[in-house]
Amino acid sequence: MLPSMSDTPAEPTETADFGFARVPRAEKKPMVRAVFERVAGRYDLMNDLMSLGIHRAWKRVFVNALDPRPHRTLLDRAGGTGDISFGWLARGGGAAILSDINADMLAVGQDRALERGLVAGLSLLVADAERLPLPDRAVDRVSIAFGLRNCTDKDAVLAEARRVLKPGGRFFCLEFSQVEVAALAPVYDAWSFQVLPRLGRWVAKDEESYRYLAESIRMFPDQETLAEMMRTAGFARVEVRNLSGGIAAIHSGWRL
Amino acid sequence: MSDAKHEPQTARNAPIDPRLLEILVCPLTKGPLEYDRANNELISRKAGLAYPVRDGIPIMLPEEARQLED
Repeated sequence: MLPSMSDTPAEPTETADFGFARVPRAEKKPMVRAVFERVAGRYDLMNDLMSLGIHRAWKRVFVNALDPRPHRTLLDRAGGTGDISFGWLARGGGAAILSDINADMLAVGQDRALERGLVAGLSLLVADAERLPLPDRAVDRVSIAFGLRNCTDKDAVLAEARRVLKPGGRFFCLEFSQVEVAALAPVYDAWSFQVLPRLGRWVAKDEESYRYLAESIRMFPDQETLAEMMRTAGFARVEVRNLSGGIAAIHSGWRL
Repeated sequence: MSDAKHEPQTARNAPIDPRLLEILVCPLTKGPLEYDRANNELISRKAGLAYPVRDGIPIMLPEEARQLED
């Protein structure tokens, strides 16, 4: 007989995942912020190393999916160093708000915007994706790329996305997901847990932060779980598109 | 002007992006904000908070906002 677990009830509302560790829920946000403050300056370089440059291809697919048009506005959340907003503007999208909870990440985005001369259509905003400082029905597109897994209250992030969308507007999430090609799994495991933290140590001098990044990817809800969370948040016509065998996925949904 | 900063009028004091000023609301109450140009802050009366603007970027985080004295 297995021992009964009933006298040690889990209290899911009291803790949150921080990589593979559980931390008090209120502590996740400052801990994630500390990680991104540490990695901000080398974040883009590390992303290139971590994904062998593939994240650039994923982001191109993602920006295409956003379907940029001059009359459409974009709220780019966890936009950090700006790849999605820049792609949107370069492809002819309308005004974009590049937002991140972390001013250090946004500062990198601001410098890159100036270098690229992409300031005209761009506004910069420090905001928490769980509590957006925008009114209801404000924008045509809401995006979050490689950001949702770092948020403590993912349901709140989804609900806020829907709230600020105009009816007919769409939400898009690009995130690491669950590998659905069996042959890929062992290679990907070795890469994530053996190679990545070492790269973090060599390149960013910060093994712990990159270990967190690798672990947080594994803790993130799989394709169908996230799709169901989006439906619960009120999104219609939720779709999932796997990238690179499910290493990443694009989830999208409509506010109707 | 006891709390006047010694630093010159640099990017730090840059005013807020006018496009954002038009649409931003308080992240807590979703109510209106007043822009205090002199202190470069966005004020939510209902929440009793003043959100700072740094380098022209509004910092809309309640934990970084200044409590209004009342």
